[in-house]
Amino acid sequence: MTVLDEPAATSDPARVERSVPPSAATSTARQGPALISLTTATPASEQRRRRVPRGIERLIGVVILFAGWELAARVGWLSPKTLAGPSTVLTAGWDLARDGTLGSAMWASVQRVLWGLGIGVPAGTVLALLAGLTRVGDDLVDANVQMLRFVPIIALQPLLILWLGIGESAKVGLIVLGVAFPLYVNTLAAIRSINPGYHELAKVVGLGRGAHLRRVVLPGAFPGFIVGLRLSTAVAWLLLVFAEQMNANSGLGYLMIRAQTFFQSDVIVVCLVIYAVLGLVSDALVRFTERTLLQWEPGR
Amino acid sequence: MGTGTLTPSVAADAALPADTAVDIRDVRRSFAGREVLRGIDLHLRAGEFVALLGRSGSGKSTLLRALAGLDDGAEGTILVPERRSVVFQDPRLLPWADVLENVTLGQSGRDATTRGRDALNEVGLADHERAWPKTLSGGEAQRASLARALVREPQLLLLDEPFGALDALTRIRMHALVEELCQRHDPAVLLVTHDVDEAVLLADRVLVLTDGLISLEVEIDIERPRARSHARFLDLRARLLAELGVEDH
Repeated sequence: MTVLDEPAATSDPARVERSVPPSAATSTARQGPALISLTTATPASEQRRRRVPRGIERLIGVVILFAGWELAARVGWLSPKTLAGPSTVLTAGWDLARDGTLGSAMWASVQRVLWGLGIGVPAGTVLALLAGLTRVGDDLVDANVQMLRFVPIIALQPLLILWLGIGESAKVGLIVLGVAFPLYVNTLAAIRSINPGYHELAKVVGLGRGAHLRRVVLPGAFPGFIVGLRLSTAVAWLLLVFAEQMNANSGLGYLMIRAQTFFQSDVIVVCLVIYAVLGLVSDALVRFTERTLLQWEPGR
Repeated sequence: MGTGTLTPSVAADAALPADTAVDIRDVRRSFAGREVLRGIDLHLRAGEFVALLGRSGSGKSTLLRALAGLDDGAEGTILVPERRSVVFQDPRLLPWADVLENVTLGQSGRDATTRGRDALNEVGLADHERAWPKTLSGGEAQRASLARALVREPQLLLLDEPFGALDALTRIRMHALVEELCQRHDPAVLLVTHDVDEAVLLADRVLVLTDGLISLEVEIDIERPRARSHARFLDLRARLLAELGVEDH
């Protein structure tokens, strides 16, 4: 330390502090802006605690809808032919479940979707890998798929029936086609958007072709594959409804068409509910897979 | 001729000194008719640390990529050792593999995991081996990528502006770490950078690449550990900056 009252010429911190008069900042009579408070008397979290939980609040609207529906059916504003009331629907559902009709119809429908996904998902994935990884695959596969993608899948039904007959194969075939396209498109886009630096890295660390596929390409394309899978699952249920209503002697669609013939609006509503539940469950399964396998992605 | 692996017999055939780690002759590279490398000769001895300085677009990364075997469009003779590692400017960790899996990527054999752990230990990431790369800070990620480079005991370590994306404080720590690791593992090192201080601090020899040609070569004869305030350091720094077209006042 040197003498303190010497003119400040070095970077000694003690001296620098002393060289500034302590009152310098406050001595001028400058007026600051008006200040407002951002903290309230009761914190937001406490305010929320006094109210009904959000989930229950949202249920109120649903309860009102169902109560009104039930009331309309009981009073007679809605004829059973137009739309049966919730209690009638529940009873119909219970009866159908008890005599096994619903179970076997559901199983027939689920089987078609599983077959469709089971064939369509691998097919779409393999085609995407071929197109994404090889020049030949890109030339042979991609141009054709891009062309066929714009044909509405449902319009292929007559052709499929000509080829496969009116049995199960035509229904499953329709679902296979519908499933394969979204899966192909999303998986291929994901393969192409893998950071090129990762491919360089694979070369630098000496990964062989198989290891490159396993360690870089497949995990890199997985998020896109999952997006494709979610779309595909939704498409599969949509096409199932279509296929089953055209010509079938089993399944939920068949049950609905038969109910339509006999003016059983309660059975139709039961089938609609089952379709919704099945769609929801399959989407939840895909999302569960996604969450389990994409733990490396922050914010999931 | 293109890239070749440097083996003792190759070295003998080419009449190269026995301690040769890299030998390249008259390397040229053009992109769309523009010559980026216009005939580069470069010789690295085993264990030598060479820094390659140059402004953006001078062709320094192109040269490094040619040595890494990532560019098959380079002409001339390139002889490099078989075991090479690259540290890129971005850590390039696979986000879907944990840190240890990233470090051992491409390593086979029963002891790969053990060696991966050792490498992580060396860069101070021993307790992060099960972490996902996206949860690491920039400095940690670059240390993991350094561990990945070291785990294969490279005879040639190629560093492509590895500190460029780090903050100033992390960079200082990384400099010390790299210096220490290079002394222990003793690979030949080619560091591509535009940071003159970094080059003078770390390298045995500094080359300046200007318009696709090596325009200056300087031996750094300062004892390690080097202080940035050393008179010789400041002198070399000013000389290299002048060669790069920057006046330092």
